[in-house]
Amino acid sequence: MTHTNGRRRVVVTGHGVVTPLGTGVEKFWAALKKGECGIRQAQSFPTEDLYITIAGEVPDFDPRERLKSKSLMLADKFSQYAGCAAQEAVAMSKLETPLKDPESYRAACIIGSGVGGLTTLEFSYKMLFKENKRATHPLTLLKAIGSSASAHVSIEYAIKGPTFGVVSACSTATHAIGLTYRMIREGLVDLGLAGAAEASLNWGATRAWQAMRVLSPDGLWPFSKNRNGTVLAEGAGILMLEELEHAKARGAPIFAELLGYGMTADAADMVNPSIDGASTAMQMALDDAGLAAMDIDYVNAHGTATAVNDINETRAIKRVFGNAANKVSISSTKSMHGHCLGAGGGIEAVAAVKAIGDGFIPPTVGLTEPDPECDLDYTPNVGKNRAVTYAMSNSFAFGGLNAVLVFGPAPA
Amino acid sequence: MDETATKIIEILRKNMKDPSKPVMLETPLSDLEIESLDLAVIVFDIEDTFGIEIPYNANEEVEAFATVGSVVDRVKNIISDSDKGAAA
Repeated sequence: MTHTNGRRRVVVTGHGVVTPLGTGVEKFWAALKKGECGIRQAQSFPTEDLYITIAGEVPDFDPRERLKSKSLMLADKFSQYAGCAAQEAVAMSKLETPLKDPESYRAACIIGSGVGGLTTLEFSYKMLFKENKRATHPLTLLKAIGSSASAHVSIEYAIKGPTFGVVSACSTATHAIGLTYRMIREGLVDLGLAGAAEASLNWGATRAWQAMRVLSPDGLWPFSKNRNGTVLAEGAGILMLEELEHAKARGAPIFAELLGYGMTADAADMVNPSIDGASTAMQMALDDAGLAAMDIDYVNAHGTATAVNDINETRAIKRVFGNAANKVSISSTKSMHGHCLGAGGGIEAVAAVKAIGDGFIPPTVGLTEPDPECDLDYTPNVGKNRAVTYAMSNSFAFGGLNAVLVFGPAPA
Repeated sequence: MDETATKIIEILRKNMKDPSKPVMLETPLSDLEIESLDLAVIVFDIEDTFGIEIPYNANEEVEAFATVGSVVDRVKNIISDSDKGAAA
């Protein structure tokens, strides 16, 4: 085995996404490069009595066309998105599946979700409380549980090692990826599917978010003076992570190396983020990767376009990067795919990996008038070519739950 | 103080850490240790009490809810607008 500082190296051998910009990494990345926006008038639930009527919904997702297994056809949409993204990641990795014993026990499947099958629950409660039905559909529980995405995917590929979901609101996917990375690094497993899926766009959830008064009625414009809140979205983002020698031995394609992971909790406030929590997570990820801040070429920001996040994240980046803050390219791709909640970090990790592979920084769209307090290079409106050796992906969730990943190039 | 103001102050007190603090119309909400999430809860409670909808976005309308009096005025305006709407 090749060791770096005596430790196992972890590489990305596949990735898959389901997003409001389309399904599949190539479609998603092409849309990000062009600066397209997937936020539209919501179609999947009635909006007449809401004042938030826009969302980032996944277009053209027919589970019968996208998925193979019957059990996934009957699952909640969040599991279907996970199944679809996992399918792409597995196919890309050229891993032979279903896995066979005993290798199957050396694989992990850590796929989380912020809220799991919330839409299934909403539908079932409506049937019970409003339509006075006698019983719920027999699959209601299996569809609703937050671990069902990871279970479905493990069944699909005969992954028999560590399999469960993690939950940390909008940091869920990032924690799932970081956790899987550590499992591989520490020798618990040799490979793993990691990420998250979210499909919680429905009438009740929009009502609940609306009551928090943090949503924008007209668009998600991170770091802009005109920003007025975030926009809910859905989707899935999943990486195939693998130990380097394992990947090389089977001739797998290697897209990037996962070099560092940092995680902290603010332990302060449910909604107001702290500079300490965010900056310490970034510094931990850099230290883990053995890099200095000035080595980072691209930061895929959490960038939710709420009043507080964007200023706090800017200040945290400045604290960690010092003078290098002025030369690093930053963008919030949420401006295009919306806030995919638990799945956001997975989708954004794919954007970071693609930025490295393609030498391109996707833009922050809708940034026509910068907020004077957000004064870094957020790659406004138009993406640009730039050699990206190292990229960082930030996720800072409600509750002050922070997770940061650092990716580097595929080892020579 | 009229009925609307009294009811609103009652709602504010429910969401204060120390309800024994004096609450006047000119008191800034920040003095009452009311933060953004508290305000969302307060707005919800006011909407429920008066049967109105208050358009409020925590990202941009902090000024409109700076003092107790500004909240009372906003609610009164909305009530009078909705009464006009009902009469028409």
